[in-house]
Amino acid sequence: MSTTLLEEVPPPRLDPVEGVKEGLQRRWARPGGRAYAVLRWTGATIFTVIVVGLVVSLVASASQAFGHSGLSFLWSGTYNASKDIYPTGIFIVGTLITTAVAIVLAVPIGVATAAFLSELAPKWLAGPLSVLIDLIAAVPSIVVGLWGLLVLTPVFAHHVEPFMKKVPLLEWFFHGPAYGPSMLLAGTVLAVMILPIVVALSRTALTSVATEDREAARALGATRWQVVRTVVVPGARTGIEAAVMLALGRALGETFAVAMVIGNNYALPHSLLAPGATLGSAIINNFGEANPGLDRSSIIGLVVVLLAITVLVNVGGQLLLRRRLRAAGAAS
Amino acid sequence: MSLTVLPAGSDDFTDAIGTRRELVRESARRSLVRRRITGRIAIGLSVGAVAISLAPLVALVAYTTSRGIRALSWDFFTHIPTPAGIPGGGISSAIVGSVIIVGLAAAMAVPVGTMCALFLVERRGRLAGALRFGADVLTGVPSIALGIFAYAVLVGPGSPIGHFSGLAGSFALAVLMLPIVIRASEASMRAVPRDLWEAGLALGVRRSRVVRSVVLRGALPGLVTGNLLAVARAVGETAPLFVTVLGASLLVTNPLQPMGALSLTIYSDGTQAYPAAQQTAWGTAFVLLALVLVLSVVARLVSARLTRQARR
Repeated sequence: MSTTLLEEVPPPRLDPVEGVKEGLQRRWARPGGRAYAVLRWTGATIFTVIVVGLVVSLVASASQAFGHSGLSFLWSGTYNASKDIYPTGIFIVGTLITTAVAIVLAVPIGVATAAFLSELAPKWLAGPLSVLIDLIAAVPSIVVGLWGLLVLTPVFAHHVEPFMKKVPLLEWFFHGPAYGPSMLLAGTVLAVMILPIVVALSRTALTSVATEDREAARALGATRWQVVRTVVVPGARTGIEAAVMLALGRALGETFAVAMVIGNNYALPHSLLAPGATLGSAIINNFGEANPGLDRSSIIGLVVVLLAITVLVNVGGQLLLRRRLRAAGAAS
Repeated sequence: MSLTVLPAGSDDFTDAIGTRRELVRESARRSLVRRRITGRIAIGLSVGAVAISLAPLVALVAYTTSRGIRALSWDFFTHIPTPAGIPGGGISSAIVGSVIIVGLAAAMAVPVGTMCALFLVERRGRLAGALRFGADVLTGVPSIALGIFAYAVLVGPGSPIGHFSGLAGSFALAVLMLPIVIRASEASMRAVPRDLWEAGLALGVRRSRVVRSVVLRGALPGLVTGNLLAVARAVGETAPLFVTVLGASLLVTNPLQPMGALSLTIYSDGTQAYPAAQQTAWGTAFVLLALVLVLSVVARLVSARLTRQARR
């Protein structure tokens, strides 16, 4: 019975490819396809609105302070209820110094640790240690700050800072009374905070260097260390630089971990042992007490300065990385 | 020195190759001792670096754990804080606040982030490049700036809420999570083989259906891991909450009111001189640490497990 039906009405013979294409087009035109496109565009639109809104609202909130003092905001500005005037420059200097200390401490040690874990350590040791460091990278900065405040501060006041003062040739960096809370301590706390990030990300970069490259170098007679120095680290350079950029951004923008250990002294630091302040620590220390109006607006001005610094560093770093990648792509 | 060209295959040629090989071998042997010593020293230094980097990290976690565990008790989880100087009390308001704030943040960031990731996966060209660049830059924006942004649009005078609230904190954390969710989701969606997309489309299945049952499913381990890591990052943040949520010692479940949060308790109690308050700060730090570590471990396990299932 069904056979007769088939014979009477032969199926339309479509070129299979055409059929698929037509089917796709038909489905695409259905509301389901449109809803999907709307969904994607909604996501992208919300994201764009947030990014634009972030910049616009911050600049608008700070406009009162910028309008009040213009470019001189960078060396003068009113921040608290008592109308004391602190130059923004102090906080910028403090931010740069603490970040520099953190980078100097964390990057060489972090990259060396990553190189050991990725290339030199036996597998039974490298595996668990890598997982451990990846997990520690998730420790919130406030916990690092608490540890710095209650554990490291006395250690620095009684042991580390007096010791640093005695180190020959470094008097210019380390002089003055040893209080405990200082630029050095803040930089150290930041270093502890960014170290696992540097290790975890550079380790990923190092392990993703092609095994063939390592084998080629070994076949040429290079020792294991020579392989690391001449093949693996140069091969992972872009990834390591990206890791350092991320760590740098975290250190520049940290607030509470720094505010708890830096001493919050609003003066130009004369030594790494002197207490100071960073943009981040000044923002949170003064935001609560700031009166609405010029006070609050100038604090938000500090946020805009901090945002500008971090975005400049980030965009600069990313453009650099992209250009390097493109150059590498053209060379090969 | 005169240059003679030896015909390939001749005995002279073979001899010359042999001499050259000997020379190379000889020089390699001579430098081998030096290179080995350099290698040993370098490896020794890198072992030292590992020790230096592990010491503070392990000390930090171990100290927080040992001090924090002493603060824990049933009351610590179920009671609200007592006024300063009065012993007892707990951090239930902070735990409830953190859970609600981060939960709402995830409810905002995950759908929007996934939609953005789909946009990036489906579209090439300048617009997608700009969005990706924006996400990368947003990753590097300090969290305090995101907090002040939320303050300006939700808390400050003239804004829809107009006072400190949990919801404003959720918004700040959602913006913080967004770029993490976007990049992690995009990466895991891109890892789904192109063939599977095409196979689905060639069957004449609607594109949204292909995305739902092939792409999102295939990318599920990566999506779950990325989102959990974003939550882990958000739950530990302090600065954005400080300027939006304010903190509260009473148990607040209405996200339109100021709320407590774990990180805020660590700061407010840790900076007090009373040993009892510091004890509470260590206990809270331990709870937060445990929460973040559990989230990270679960993220890894989920990823490993789902990957294994997908392979099967």
